Amino acid sequence: MTDENKTNRREFLKKGLSLGLIAGSATILGRPDFLLAQNAPQGLPDLVAVRNGEPDALFSKGIELMGGMNQFVKKGQTVVVKPNIGFPRLPQAAATTNPLLVKTIVERCYAAGARRVYVFDNVVLPTSANARNCYRLSGIEEAAKAARAIVVPVDDFSYRKVEIPDGKTLKTAEVHSLIFDTDVFINVPVLKHHSSAHLSIAMKNLMGIIKNRMEYHLTGLDQCITDFCLYRKPDLNIVDAYRVMMSHGPSGQNVENPTNVQVKKTILLSRDIVAVDAAATKIFGREPEEIGYIKMAHAQKIGNMNLKELKIVTFAM
Amino acid sequence: MRLIKTRIVFSTFIFTLFILLFFSGEKTASLLSSVLLSFQFVPALLKVISNPGILVITGLIFLLVITLLFGRVYCSFLCPLGVMQDFSIALSRRFGWLKNHSFQKPLGWLRYSILALTIALALFGSFVLVNLLDPYSLTGRIINHVLEPAFVWLYNTSIEIPKFFNIYLFQKETAYIPLLALVITLLFFLSILFVSARYGRLYCNTVCPVGSLLGLISRFSIFKFTLDEDHCTQCLRCETVCKAGCINPDDKTIDMTRCVACFNCVAACPQPAIKYQHASSFKTQNKWSAQRRGFVIGSVAAIFSVLLVFNDRTRAAIAATRRNQKPPATPPGAVTLRRFTQSCSACHLCVSACPTKVLTPSFFEYGAAGLMQPLMDFEKSFCDYECNACGKVCPTGAIQPLPLEIKKLVQIGKAEIFEEICVVYVDHNNCGACGEVCPTHVISFIDKNNILYPKVDTKYCIGCGACQLVCPTTPKSIIVEPNEVHQTAVKYRHRRRHRRGQDTQEGFPF
Repeated sequence: MTDENKTNRREFLKKGLSLGLIAGSATILGRPDFLLAQNAPQGLPDLVAVRNGEPDALFSKGIELMGGMNQFVKKGQTVVVKPNIGFPRLPQAAATTNPLLVKTIVERCYAAGARRVYVFDNVVLPTSANARNCYRLSGIEEAAKAARAIVVPVDDFSYRKVEIPDGKTLKTAEVHSLIFDTDVFINVPVLKHHSSAHLSIAMKNLMGIIKNRMEYHLTGLDQCITDFCLYRKPDLNIVDAYRVMMSHGPSGQNVENPTNVQVKKTILLSRDIVAVDAAATKIFGREPEEIGYIKMAHAQKIGNMNLKELKIVTFAM
Repeated sequence: MRLIKTRIVFSTFIFTLFILLFFSGEKTASLLSSVLLSFQFVPALLKVISNPGILVITGLIFLLVITLLFGRVYCSFLCPLGVMQDFSIALSRRFGWLKNHSFQKPLGWLRYSILALTIALALFGSFVLVNLLDPYSLTGRIINHVLEPAFVWLYNTSIEIPKFFNIYLFQKETAYIPLLALVITLLFFLSILFVSARYGRLYCNTVCPVGSLLGLISRFSIFKFTLDEDHCTQCLRCETVCKAGCINPDDKTIDMTRCVACFNCVAACPQPAIKYQHASSFKTQNKWSAQRRGFVIGSVAAIFSVLLVFNDRTRAAIAATRRNQKPPATPPGAVTLRRFTQSCSACHLCVSACPTKVLTPSFFEYGAAGLMQPLMDFEKSFCDYECNACGKVCPTGAIQPLPLEIKKLVQIGKAEIFEEICVVYVDHNNCGACGEVCPTHVISFIDKNNILYPKVDTKYCIGCGACQLVCPTTPKSIIVEPNEVHQTAVKYRHRRRHRRGQDTQEGFPF
């Protein structure tokens, strides 16, 4: 895998991309702030979609097309990987992020030289017992630990209050301290149906890093989801559309063989959280304009939902 | 001496099991509960009435038989409150606060009145005195309200330390304890500690209804402690070690109704004066009083006649007078509100075992029917769909053990939505918090201009309270209306709307 990556990077450099060189030197000089920029370095795609593979292979191909893991994670950095672990469901229910995908991401972070990789989510019914069930049943705790990630249970002490000056509705949020304390923030949502937001993808997944989620529900879910992105966007969004819950979301069916799950074997990667949500919406079979928060985020210039304006690289395995 | 050692080792072991019962997880607790609590008098008695099982019946018969054979050995060997008092007595003696026990006059009138009142009230449908006085349940509450929060606080504080080494552990949670319930528990706990440290087993011989009842049986026990006048040198050693204060050295009698069979006196006696022996081997004590015997026979007859002529309607009448407000929701397995309040001894083992801590002690929510019996508090938490712990641990049968598949369809209440305050209907903003958490697909959403309006279909509702817990409005726009008699919900059938397996679409839609 690593070899493949190296040849790929060399390939980019060979093409004489100036930004590739800058990225390379930034690696040496350790200037991660450059890499936190939202727009893709010139020449690299804005959005990558890969299909027809297993989660680990999909991710390997996807991150290769995105320019390699080193575009996002530098040697010695700390990383927080934020999957969706919100529901006490088995992986096949597709209510939570694919554990193998999470595991692969953690492994690649370490391979890229990450010092520490944290994995956490605030579950939807945040009692200790429920959180334990979510972490266990989703298979994410086990998978992430197998890749040496530090799996962090959420507790009340770990939040810090922040201001969102430009927020239309959401003015403050209590954000989990790992988001501040780590260098790289990787958002790994699962694409699924959602009863009250139509779809849950990358933007919606950020509700798992804040504590005042009831304020979102009370004051307007779509606007608050949008407003939070004004405060913090992930450095990389990886949408798990391997199994997609097509109805009865977000919790899905609590059975061994759910009837509402379609195996799409797809993942999407992008720095642009709005673009990745728009693309995932299309994968689901809906239009981005129908989803309140995607439309709002586009209007507030958080990202671009017009996929035609983006440089998209697709790959079918 | 050997008997005392055996007692100390055995009772300490039993007490440790009690601590484990409340502190260990659901699995250990349900196992321990079925074994250990079958040999606790009140839970075993209640369970025999409500939901008999072989082990429980054996346990109750065992307790009655050993009392009839050996006296109140239950009080010294098995009763957790007794053991707790023995700890307090031992400490008190070690620190010299209590040097010697001494003979106490029996407070027969008081103790039998309490016993009679407890039984009478229970028969008339009010469990208030059983709830307050049963020694096992009292110990349960002391552990649940006092020791457990202390332990959890300590645990949650100490898991902050390994965080520095990147080791993260899940916090533990304790149930919300209403202030009045906590005050009562503390009051009992501290006064029992004080009284035992000062006067020995006075609680057991005055207040405790189990002690009084077993005392009545001990009167006829086969083995008795006797004080032989011929050998006694009036050294009073037996009196000074008797925690129950039941040895009267003046007229050389031992009150078997109050003796807790701790065997201290036998070991203390330097002469062969105190003996623990078969009743037939000594003369019947001439101290029996016709009055007392009359009282005993009278009360036994009264109890049985009440039992026989007992009219179910009187119970219902008492239950009906208990409240003006709506009754709380009862846990799945309670079957009916009345059945639950009339078999729960308020030991709060279920409160300890409940992983989501939705089961919280009540105070007077059940009215005259029962005190501190647990209720489902949906403002505090929700009932986990995948859990049936409370029924597994309940020692009295108040919460029946339900197989998980059945429990998932037991409707303890029904969700009701108030459109006039629900944010979606009022502000036309998406919220849907209730729908996110509903485990049984009760709440569906009607899409109008991309805004999703919640609707409730109560036939699928089991009343788990998750929707009420997460509803962001004040007051709540969706609440669970408790069912006084639990119903069965309809199982939600998933229609196969989407083809499973690989989706046939080729390429990418962009």
